[in-house]
Amino acid sequence: MEGLFKEPQKQSPIGVLVMFLDTMRHYARAFWPVLLVWVFRFNDVSKVWLYSGIAALFVIVGVVAYLKYINFTFYLDYENDEFIISEGIFNKSKTAIQLDKIQQVNINQSLLQKIIGVYALDVDTAGSNHKEGEIKAISHPLALALKSRLLDNTKRPRVSPDISTAGDPDDAKDLDARPPFVKIGLPSLIKVGITSNYIRSFSLLLLFFFTLSDNIHKITGRDVFHDEDIENYVDGKRMLQVFLVGVSFLFLVVLAINLVRIIFKYFDYKITRQKGSLLLSFGLLHTKSTILKPEKVQMVSASRNYFQKKMDILNLKIKQAKSDDHEERNAAIEVPGCNETERDAILKLLFGRIPEKGLMLKPNFRKLVFALFLTVGLPLAAFYTFGYYYPRSLYPAGYLVPVYVLFVSMLQFFKFNNNRLFIHDDFIIKQSGAWDICHEIIEPKRIQAITTSQLFWHKSLGIGSLTLHTAGGKIAFQLGDFETIKQHVNLWLYEIETSDSNWM
Amino acid sequence: MVRINGFLKFQEFKRNQGFEPLPKHLPMENFTNETIDTTQLPRFEYVPYSPLHPAYWKVLLINIGVLMLVCAIGVGVFFFNAPEWSGYETKVVGGLLILFALILFFVRLGFSKKGFAFRTHDVLFRQGIIATNTMVIPYNRIQHVALHEGLISRLFGLAKIEIFTAGGSASDLEIPGIKKEHAENIKQLLMGKIQKEL
Repeated sequence: MEGLFKEPQKQSPIGVLVMFLDTMRHYARAFWPVLLVWVFRFNDVSKVWLYSGIAALFVIVGVVAYLKYINFTFYLDYENDEFIISEGIFNKSKTAIQLDKIQQVNINQSLLQKIIGVYALDVDTAGSNHKEGEIKAISHPLALALKSRLLDNTKRPRVSPDISTAGDPDDAKDLDARPPFVKIGLPSLIKVGITSNYIRSFSLLLLFFFTLSDNIHKITGRDVFHDEDIENYVDGKRMLQVFLVGVSFLFLVVLAINLVRIIFKYFDYKITRQKGSLLLSFGLLHTKSTILKPEKVQMVSASRNYFQKKMDILNLKIKQAKSDDHEERNAAIEVPGCNETERDAILKLLFGRIPEKGLMLKPNFRKLVFALFLTVGLPLAAFYTFGYYYPRSLYPAGYLVPVYVLFVSMLQFFKFNNNRLFIHDDFIIKQSGAWDICHEIIEPKRIQAITTSQLFWHKSLGIGSLTLHTAGGKIAFQLGDFETIKQHVNLWLYEIETSDSNWM
Repeated sequence: MVRINGFLKFQEFKRNQGFEPLPKHLPMENFTNETIDTTQLPRFEYVPYSPLHPAYWKVLLINIGVLMLVCAIGVGVFFFNAPEWSGYETKVVGGLLILFALILFFVRLGFSKKGFAFRTHDVLFRQGIIATNTMVIPYNRIQHVALHEGLISRLFGLAKIEIFTAGGSASDLEIPGIKKEHAENIKQLLMGKIQKEL
């Protein structure tokens, strides 16, 4: 066992295939507009060119994958106690990871790797959040052996007995065999896919359409649609029918895109408990794994809409402390489609107990009035001012005004009605949202700074706003009873300043 | 101050004086957990604020003056090169003057509204014309402190204290218009507090 992995090793030979598909995936992501145009211009280009082009692409990707495979080696340097990975075709890079810095070694398998029959092994260190080293294709016995090698070194600081036994190969196996404590199956993901992110998918669709039509226009010199065509095609009476069919078709496409996106991203979502921290892994083609340390968690938000409530699913978003500004801005970890029991289990692990809602604060009705002024009053004023000067141009849009007013007013009313702040001794929970109702949960000890704000004409009304800053984002609550807010600010300040409890 | 038991209070006193940190685990016999009377807590809303140094108003005046000068030169060059706009000079200049009068008024108002306070355990900064914003940062949440001297501020011997927390730019604090020596002292005080908290 001693000399194992001493010599530089390549990955499993079948790994070339993983490399190939991986490279293909990257190229496809970079060149998809060009590929689509190719497909669209299928008739214009002679078939010989098309097939030879595709063949050339495959050959190039194959060669690149082979070179990547040849140049990727890893070994253990026993003299310096380092794990060394060297990779790269032209730009060579060598990653040396000190063994005593290694915190976690994860063995994963994406769908692709499952089909081929290899495993991925990634190494996490204490230094940063992202993976330090990743081996994409390795056989299972070899992966286990390497894992135990990596974790088994005497220099490792023995913080707890739990960690010191982790070096045992048997134990390592045991750790991998441990059942995940939250597992999100395909049905939940499908539920999430059809009930969330309509706006995001819609804008993605728009972006996709515009990029595509722009590319086609550029290359073929033709517009995708001609206005006259559509006008000739549809006569006046059938306008509404076509409009409705179009809208429902669009809706279905949005649903489908959303569903596919969610399943690709979160397939086989597992949360496993490991040495006091949580290990999350998910993804269909490319398995992502992240470590979540409860003591680093600053804010947790749970959101769900009406449909999701009926189906008993919700989305959790866990925000950790950002150690650096340049580190990924979206440091939030998402848990899609867990049910209430799973949510409670996760929250219990993160906070030590299930958060409770305490004293409830409601915003003053002026908040609703102001929101209506901004989103209904101002746009309508602008609309009619414009209509006063150019009456003809606005005529067709006139019947949309009541629809808009009704829709936005309802939205604002629900938003106002859901806006609450719950203050408990150990938790502060902000509830917000019109359709997707979100609960943001923080602990008072995580507060970094507090801002209170009051407009001068609200002084006599006794209402004001509060912002609580944490290292994972802020919570703001507007136009609540200012006396209560101030009293709690004093209490939180007292708690923060008299305790040595670490916020991170 | 809140009524805590005598031992804790003594510990806290010592801690404030910089003698020794509060022990992590208090011996059981000295540990009590009395209910805090929230109405007796020190109240941040009644803290008296120190105004910014009067010389800082001059700094602001010079800044506005420079802005005004740049605008005046710009307008002058424009009218010199665009003779077809002659006749509008009085209106444009009049508009600019009203604008600057307004700016001057609001900057002065903003200046007089700004104030800071250093308590035993936290720093407070108040500002805002239409809304009064008060920010409180406890010393044990401060990451680091910096002293910044602007070009014009330096002529008047003024400096700006910048206080950074882990909450990102939204929860950082800048207190301008403090006498250089005073700012140095404040920085020393804060650094001392931070180190003690660690």
